[in-house]
Amino acid sequence: MNPRTVAAAVVAAAPIVLVVLPGFRRWLASMRTGIRLLALVAGVSVLGVLVGQGLPADAYVARYGHAVGTFLVISGIADIFRTPYFGVLLELLALSIIVCSLGRIRRLFRAPERGLAASAGSLLSHLSIVVILAGGLLSAVTGFRYAPPIYLAAGESLTVSEGGFTVRVDAARTEFSGSGVVSEYVSDVTVLEGGRELRSERVEVNRPLVHRGIGVYQYEMLPSATSVREVVIGVLPSGAEGRTAPAEWRGPIGREIAVAGTDLSLKVLEFLGDFTYDIENRTAALKSVRHANPAVLVQVTRAGRVIGERWLFPALRGHPDDDIPYRLALLDYAPDFENGLTRFEISRQPGTHLLYAGFAALSLGLCLIFWTRVPSARGPRDEVTR
Amino acid sequence: MTSGPDMPFFWAALLSYLAGTVVASLYAGLRKRPLRSAVYWLTVAGLAANTVALVVRGVQQGHPPIANLFEYLSLLAWAAVLGFVLLWRRRGLELLTVFAAPVGLCAMVVASLFPARIEEQLIPALQSYWLWVHVSLAVLGEAAFAVAFVASVIYLVGSRRGFSGLPDPELLDRVTYRAIGIGFPLFTIGALFAGAVWAQRAWGSAWSWDPKETSSLIVWLIYAIYLHARLVRGWRGAGAAGLSVAGFAMTFFTILGSRILGGLHSYG
Repeated sequence: MNPRTVAAAVVAAAPIVLVVLPGFRRWLASMRTGIRLLALVAGVSVLGVLVGQGLPADAYVARYGHAVGTFLVISGIADIFRTPYFGVLLELLALSIIVCSLGRIRRLFRAPERGLAASAGSLLSHLSIVVILAGGLLSAVTGFRYAPPIYLAAGESLTVSEGGFTVRVDAARTEFSGSGVVSEYVSDVTVLEGGRELRSERVEVNRPLVHRGIGVYQYEMLPSATSVREVVIGVLPSGAEGRTAPAEWRGPIGREIAVAGTDLSLKVLEFLGDFTYDIENRTAALKSVRHANPAVLVQVTRAGRVIGERWLFPALRGHPDDDIPYRLALLDYAPDFENGLTRFEISRQPGTHLLYAGFAALSLGLCLIFWTRVPSARGPRDEVTR
Repeated sequence: MTSGPDMPFFWAALLSYLAGTVVASLYAGLRKRPLRSAVYWLTVAGLAANTVALVVRGVQQGHPPIANLFEYLSLLAWAAVLGFVLLWRRRGLELLTVFAAPVGLCAMVVASLFPARIEEQLIPALQSYWLWVHVSLAVLGEAAFAVAFVASVIYLVGSRRGFSGLPDPELLDRVTYRAIGIGFPLFTIGALFAGAVWAQRAWGSAWSWDPKETSSLIVWLIYAIYLHARLVRGWRGAGAAGLSVAGFAMTFFTILGSRILGGLHSYG
């Protein structure tokens, strides 16, 4: 069952259950129940930390074996914070706090046990947890977040249908400090509605673009997956392995340059950051946008005649059948950070302000409890409600 | 990205805490007053060197030294030792306060295991004023938890083994409670509230169930259970002390866990 449906059902049913079942209300109001619920949330959270969350099912089988991996996926432990039972647990905690807080309100106006500030702080901090949970629930039920990750290059666009607008990337680059360290990921974007340009913004990490309540967050920037600034190729005569170091050839994509000390010239035709071979179409292709398996396609010219083309990888390779009497390797390359691939997170979290209000109230409440006058910490042992 | 001029002070602090730990061990066995004075001055010397190291590092980098685990643990050592030093003159806590040096030593030794490069340029994710609020308040809260942890450990040792000459259990229990009472609001504001605001701004979601976020929540829940049980039901003794120890163990896991578990916080 959809966790959102379960959450909505529990929220709707809660007041009725509390009125109809006074025993359940008393159970929720007891200190013991409150502590047990907190401990249960902590225990489930420990499980969530220890078992990586939200990975593909295969990853759990690979990590824990077939039986355990399958169990983790089927039982929901692999995505435990989105399971209905975790949602119900949080809602029980919220109900418990609400029921207890009703008693607190009565006591606050009658005769505060620990001073007015501490008692008010106690009430505030407890109710704030309900507000925080409500904020989280609101975001979960009415908000959204795009998945899987979206990578865009300059000139590409993303339509955000929920907001009725399109984000066009005009530039995506990594900026560096004087010492060569990454200083910022920058995307220059234009927002369009119905094909009309509305606004242009510079989006950076920690400086999102917010349009119609939907945030466009600069999450990551990758160097171009298909272009490089410079390539370094090692060239070694066949049979000379181990006897001499390879000659180094340097050049950008598209320029034919002679290899010093040989009769060869090289020209880099193509770069792929993550090379794979498409068997159906018999062509080289990009497996992902990350530089996981970099390769360059090189055209080799000897004495003015093109003698072959070859995909080069970081290891020195030769081929017994071709006409190139050299072993060639992609030794290094300078990534192209000017024409990067920007990764945006697109999300709308309508419960965020409620969440902030809850956290602010919680912080204030705790300061009132513990910092105005530290309570004596000698509550009556027979007290049933908080 | 080089080791900076702060390192001689860092090592001076570590060695002072080490010497303080050795003398503290002698004091625990012999209970001679001059030994306690020696621990005090070695601890204060370590704290001074620790302070200078952090200030020099901050000036050198152009931003406060809270951007990686080396800096975080150095700051945690400083804050925890300061907490103990503030308790120094409290009667009946002589044995507790000499633990300042071992606590500082442990944090500094763990810090020394991580890269200590001077980073003048913060990575893009850390370029936010929320970094200062989030990290500095969280570390202060965790330092208070460290004080509570030591008091709880002494309480547990005293209650299990029947050692003589240990601080009054009632006093240790009160120190634990008060330290958690100081640390809990700081941790809530710094680690959870400021963290949520910053996460929303940087990642588009205030809460992502990232391993570090979830670990921080577990820390918060453990101390929430402790405070509820203590404050309302008057629960104390070995159980409460055990919960305080568990809370700090989880705190330490939270600090280092992102190195093992990865996630959004794994850039330190």
